[in-house]
Amino acid sequence: MSTIKGFFKSYKDAFLVNIKEHTQHTPQVVKLSFADLKKTYHGSALGWAWAVIKPVVTIFVYWFAIAVGLRQGGDVDGYPYILWLISGIVPWFYMGDTITGGTGCIRKYSYLVTKMQFPVTTIPTFTNLSRLYVNIVITLIVVAIFWIGGYPPTLYLLQLPLYILFMFLFFNAWSLFSGLISAISKDFANLIKSLNIAVFWLSGILWNIENVADNKFLYSLMMLNPVTFICYGFRNCFVNHVWFFEQPQRLLYFIGWYLVLAFLSLWAYKNLRKEIADVL
Amino acid sequence: MSETVIRFENVTKIYKLYSSTRKRLLGIFIKKVPYKKKKAVDEVSFTVNRGESVALFGKNGAGKSTVLKMITGVVFPTSGDIEVKGRVSALLELTSGFDMEFTGRENIYLKGHILGLKDEEIKALEDTIIEFSELNEYIDQPVRTYSSGMRARLGFAINVNIKPEILIVDEALSVGDAPFRKKCQKTVNEIINKDNVTLLFVTHQTAVAEEFCKRGIVMKNGKIVFDGPVEEASEYYKKMNAGKK
Repeated sequence: MSTIKGFFKSYKDAFLVNIKEHTQHTPQVVKLSFADLKKTYHGSALGWAWAVIKPVVTIFVYWFAIAVGLRQGGDVDGYPYILWLISGIVPWFYMGDTITGGTGCIRKYSYLVTKMQFPVTTIPTFTNLSRLYVNIVITLIVVAIFWIGGYPPTLYLLQLPLYILFMFLFFNAWSLFSGLISAISKDFANLIKSLNIAVFWLSGILWNIENVADNKFLYSLMMLNPVTFICYGFRNCFVNHVWFFEQPQRLLYFIGWYLVLAFLSLWAYKNLRKEIADVL
Repeated sequence: MSETVIRFENVTKIYKLYSSTRKRLLGIFIKKVPYKKKKAVDEVSFTVNRGESVALFGKNGAGKSTVLKMITGVVFPTSGDIEVKGRVSALLELTSGFDMEFTGRENIYLKGHILGLKDEEIKALEDTIIEFSELNEYIDQPVRTYSSGMRARLGFAINVNIKPEILIVDEALSVGDAPFRKKCQKTVNEIINKDNVTLLFVTHQTAVAEEFCKRGIVMKNGKIVFDGPVEEASEYYKKMNAGKK
């Protein structure tokens, strides 16, 4: 009985440390997120333009391959393929970058771990925030593109901040977990890098998951994927016009995954916090 | 009697040495994976009071740096209790801890933010730091273009000027040219005497230590073998090196 109590207490403590480090260092987290943002686009001639050029090129390449090369660019749900593609791929830009970037965040800021006393749980937060700023701007550009394309904003766009929040919280837990593990071993970072491409192609970002709806098993597997949940959440706002509570099953799956990941990140923090400074 | 600012009680630090990083990764999940234990610090106990200046002697690998890192809060003890009161400013490896892409000035702000200072507080210190570092127009150049001496000067300037309560100096005073070294020593002496700052000083040069410190601790193989007035400590350390102890 007491061991179970101790088990819960250790996780509760790790959770409270996490919360405390964030509430006590909020101004630092914000400042460091801007510093990280500045650093990302610092020192190149085009600077900030890269934040837009990179996604534009990526979208063009995929559109060209699918619509021109494979001739699969027909309308999806009454929207031109290119608009449908954009609405789902934009959150992926954040998620894809964060899956790998979150894994590297503690290594990138190793001097905060090894040279001074610093709230380690905030490292994923400020590095992710810096990416989120860019993603929010791009999302706003997408709203404008839809408008220009003849699809003015609807009420459904109001749930966009919620999906962004879901996305941020989910990948923050991911970054704490994977950042700590990869601080111990570089192999983990390489593993994640190679899995990243697989996640992209399996998540129904370029192709519509409704295409596999006739295969019940496969379809529910797709629904289990948290990346799919976020991408199609964005599409719910832009294209499908569905409220998030109208698909409770997907939402529950996502929350389930989030709890698992939050647990894992606390487990990693509990076990590795005191060890990473010895290793980095 | 002035108040205790640093207290070590039976502190032991054991580093886990795995034979490969793969084993270390496995070790996270499976506790049974074998590793060698290296006792860097072995049952160390001591206290330091506010305003004291303590020199830490010891050969390479004696555990000095690990003790300093534990005071800084970077490394955690395997067992034992550590209590540290006050803002610790550590001059551990001066040239690291900078963001290479940022300019010297931006790094001053970054360091300040990390330490939780407000913008106005940093602004008030900015000129003093720049003047002290003697970087002049270089302050607005990226730190990656700095020479190691310039980085060390900036690091030193930041750390002594952010009003530390406990100052930890790890061989740092041996950077820069002779005049700058003199200036550093003068400043360290000033803040010890004026602001009642606690100093912990690691060096191999016993003469420098005697200039700053009143108390000396000698470490050997992770244990404290001598703790007393600095002159006696440096005498002990010299004898130890000569192989007599």
